[in-house]
Amino acid sequence: MTLADAARHAFELLLGGDATLWGIIWISLRVSCLAMLVATPFAVVLGFVLATFTFPGRRALIVVLQTMLALPTVVVGLLLYLILSRQGPLGEWHWLFTQEAMVLGQAVLAFPILAAMTLSGVQGVDARAAETARTLGATPLRAALTVLMEARFAVMVAIASGSGRVLSEIGCAMMVGGNIAGVTRNITTAIALETSKGEFAQGIALGTVLVALALAVNFAIAMLQGKGEVR
Amino acid sequence: MPLLAVKKLRKSYGERLLLDIDALTFARGASYLLTGDNGSGKTTLLRILAGLEQAETGTFLFNGVRYDSAADLARLAPTVLYVHQHCYLFHTSVAANIEYGLKLSGVSCSERKKLVQAEMDWAGVAHLADVPTHRLSGGEKQRVALARARVLKPQLLLLDEPTANLDDEAREQVVMLIQQMREARNCVVIATHDREMTAMEGAVHLRLEGASLHVS
Repeated sequence: MTLADAARHAFELLLGGDATLWGIIWISLRVSCLAMLVATPFAVVLGFVLATFTFPGRRALIVVLQTMLALPTVVVGLLLYLILSRQGPLGEWHWLFTQEAMVLGQAVLAFPILAAMTLSGVQGVDARAAETARTLGATPLRAALTVLMEARFAVMVAIASGSGRVLSEIGCAMMVGGNIAGVTRNITTAIALETSKGEFAQGIALGTVLVALALAVNFAIAMLQGKGEVR
Repeated sequence: MPLLAVKKLRKSYGERLLLDIDALTFARGASYLLTGDNGSGKTTLLRILAGLEQAETGTFLFNGVRYDSAADLARLAPTVLYVHQHCYLFHTSVAANIEYGLKLSGVSCSERKKLVQAEMDWAGVAHLADVPTHRLSGGEKQRVALARARVLKPQLLLLDEPTANLDDEAREQVVMLIQQMREARNCVVIATHDREMTAMEGAVHLRLEGASLHVS
């Protein structure tokens, strides 16, 4: 099959509503959205706390967070594999090779991006914001929440960036999900598998969807950054 | 009884003694013009009165009640309200900015709407109600900041260089609004270099020089 044939077949699969293909896309979206839902509240709170309050160990936490930004996805996958495997501390949960394990893995991957970008966004807010809130009658907590609101565009950019990371990662999903058809096979693991089998059509179709999603995420980031710009 | 009486106020930055004021009082309904060279401590004094900075020593009697620390004084907000030299507006709309303090005070939604509309009319920014604040000019921002402060009816309003960096037209509008606030018998303290403001009639002149305050 030539590349042109594969591409034509790919679009036939996409536009024809191929159940297997769209099932894989659905698993990808479901797992990634759930991972973001799990990670976002905790990460935003941590980023906000690190940016707002001074306490012992704060510096060390920031260093750990920044280190986690560079953590390869396969290393996260390996650690979770060891934790979730039968002999691991969470082996009783029987999560290995399930979507739950993939959600957990992707949440761990998204967490440092979300927290670090929230931290930087909140730190970037003008110091007068909190003072203005205080002098208008806000309690210290309410003033801090106002500062978080002022950083909302940075937080939304963090969410978009985190979504991009979890949608496109493969190492963790492959290791803790196991790439089981109809259960844990997502876009990235399916592309890897189909390509290794020489079945390029499905790979191209899924790759197109992934690129479209990446474009949508980056477009959202650009829009949010534009909205957050203060002239 | 004065609205605010300050005693033995001292503030230093490192070795440099910035403020050394034995006694200072602010009366209800009076206005004060605080002048002094750049770096003379005008902003610091206003920030201390607003509870945004801690003085080394000093006692503050507000309506006869004693406050010793910045944290204590900060609890007086928005009864004592400070507006920055370069005012900060939240990244929301003009109306939402003016509404902010009213929400914190627990004013009902319908009452808030009425008050916000009245303040926007007063400041001449009603046509900008839904405009995001980053689209406003310097003069419009200052007028919104004044409206946001005025709507909370502060007993003591501290304005830090309210006409700095404004063009002539915007400056005139802001000066006019401040005059109206004075006429409404708010106690207003204005730190300023502006000649037009320093010529305001009926205001008590306070001049900071070498850490001391001179009243005329």
